[in-house]
Amino acid sequence: MARSSKAIPWFLFAGGGTATAFILPVIILVTGLFALFGAFSGALSYETMQAFIGNWLIKIIVFGILFLTLWHVAHRLRVVAHDFGIRADTGVAIVVYGLAAVGTIATIVALLNV
Amino acid sequence: MSRKPYVRQMSKTSWFLTHSRYKNYMLHEVTCIFIAIYAVILIVGLFRLGQGPEAWQGWLDGLRSPLGIIFQILAFIFSVIHTWSWFKVVPQAMRIQRGEDFVPGNLIVGVHYGVLAVISLFVLILAGVA
Repeated sequence: MARSSKAIPWFLFAGGGTATAFILPVIILVTGLFALFGAFSGALSYETMQAFIGNWLIKIIVFGILFLTLWHVAHRLRVVAHDFGIRADTGVAIVVYGLAAVGTIATIVALLNV
Repeated sequence: MSRKPYVRQMSKTSWFLTHSRYKNYMLHEVTCIFIAIYAVILIVGLFRLGQGPEAWQGWLDGLRSPLGIIFQILAFIFSVIHTWSWFKVVPQAMRIQRGEDFVPGNLIVGVHYGVLAVISLFVLILAGVA
């Protein structure tokens, strides 16, 4: 079997694609049903979410999901830019991976402030 | 070289509309745009949670605004497309050999949907639906 020379980008892309595939539909369902019908309003109250995100294990899990999601979409956005006719790949790569890095740091800062 | 190679005329921005296979490809590729925006919304939510009850309430109100609702409906549809297209190619990406044979692709995909159901149910129970 051929070995990829880009192990780290591929791990992040595949890991993020897998994580989002399993977790995102139900997360959007929860926030979306709350938005539409006010369902789960207790679970999304300030006190409940403070206690939930205040847990260190939850912080690590939330970070893991968002970190992988950010780098998955960064990699895919780079390809999508190419597919829509933007051929300045180096510039696109700097922008999308830069944004993913900023998002990763922002996630850490936000989680530490809860 | 005097020979002029044949170059097929193809639009750089709408080439994928020429074949249903390309359209399917673009459909699962553009899921990342919606997932990216939703991830940013979640990170903003984490910031708002750290800033106090009013800030958090403001974030929840944003989710419930017409724009928030429309976006979440689209994000949900595209996240399901992502899940479906991701699981579909798992047998090609994950070849599990047991003895002489490979584990059938349908079984691997089935297990993925099973795990998806368990995780989804777990989150819904955690959120207080059941």
